Amino acid sequence: AAAFERRVLRRAAEHHYLRVRLELPDGGARPNAAQFKQLVVTALRELHGEVGAALPVDVLTYEEKTLSAILRVISSGFVKLWSALTLLGFYQNRRCAFRVLQTSPFLLALSGNSRELVL
Amino acid sequence: QNILTVCFSVGYSAVALNHVIDFKEKKQEIIKPVSPSELFPSLPIVQGTSKRIKVLTRLTLVVSDPSHCNLLRSTSANTRLYDIIAVFPKTEKLFHIACTTLDVDLVCINVTEKLPFYFRRPPVNMAIDRGIYFELLYTPAIKDSTMRRYTISNAISLMQICKGKNIVISSAAERPLELRGPYDVANLGLLFGLSEGEAKAAVSTNCRAAMLHGETRKSACGVVYTVKKPHQVEEEETAVPACKKAKTQ
Repeated sequence: AAAFERRVLRRAAEHHYLRVRLELPDGGARPNAAQFKQLVVTALRELHGEVGAALPVDVLTYEEKTLSAILRVISSGFVKLWSALTLLGFYQNRRCAFRVLQTSPFLLALSGNSRELVL
Repeated sequence: QNILTVCFSVGYSAVALNHVIDFKEKKQEIIKPVSPSELFPSLPIVQGTSKRIKVLTRLTLVVSDPSHCNLLRSTSANTRLYDIIAVFPKTEKLFHIACTTLDVDLVCINVTEKLPFYFRRPPVNMAIDRGIYFELLYTPAIKDSTMRRYTISNAISLMQICKGKNIVISSAAERPLELRGPYDVANLGLLFGLSEGEAKAAVSTNCRAAMLHGETRKSACGVVYTVKKPHQVEEEETAVPACKKAKTQ
């Protein structure tokens, strides 16, 4: 018989993970990873001020070609981060939009997207 | 048309195209709404279900004078062609009239400037009883930081009076980039002070209820939607009283 161990987590998860994509329709310069993080922090500062900008947000992966990233944030700051990303309108005076594709308290859940299933 | 394509890809199942009439300018006539079939020969299917996306037409009247409301009472042929009618009151008296007597589905709450009047509880409660929804826009919050403050402050003062019932959040997007997905908008509802369930309802169930309210205007009294019930296995019961049988049907 295979030995397995069952772990039950009673607390809510520590971090929330978001897969986001930045939409920049005009063909200008694309932000690199550092500029992307700067953009996220700016969005938080515009909506939630210095306290929001100090929220511990990490960019776990970033692809410059598709401008998509996976962000990690402390669970208590999840609503602030998501609302700040939603209300961001401009990047360097160019119109942009953040599309949040998936969110989950577990990183593994971001690997599969049931909306992109081809039935 | 680009905006609609983005709407569909982001995941909305019904979209309403708005037409604003402002009465301050002279000689405003209500034009016939653009029929959705002209824009799209065949509407794409909603993700995950097999129904097509609905595109509705909507009329917004900006009223700053009680005489403008006469248009709603007059049986203008063109007003009846729109699916949803919304009114945008500019003064307290008009807000009261809109909540209590006018035949509209939505009352728009101004988000771009400080409200000139305070909400009072009696007209708001009457509007909730009549099935009228209050509408908040979120696109000005994306464009300008001053408007962001006004949006949030007006929304919070509305929440204090109506306790989060009968709220609809919508976008006044003029470009496809100003649109946000449904879950993002529900998250914005949390910022305004709604609870999680209320915020999700503000994007989904309340909107559908406002649509049905608009349909009741076309019919005489009300709308009844029938849903196919799953087939229930009928068991032979001999001693079932007649009243019990009527209830289970």
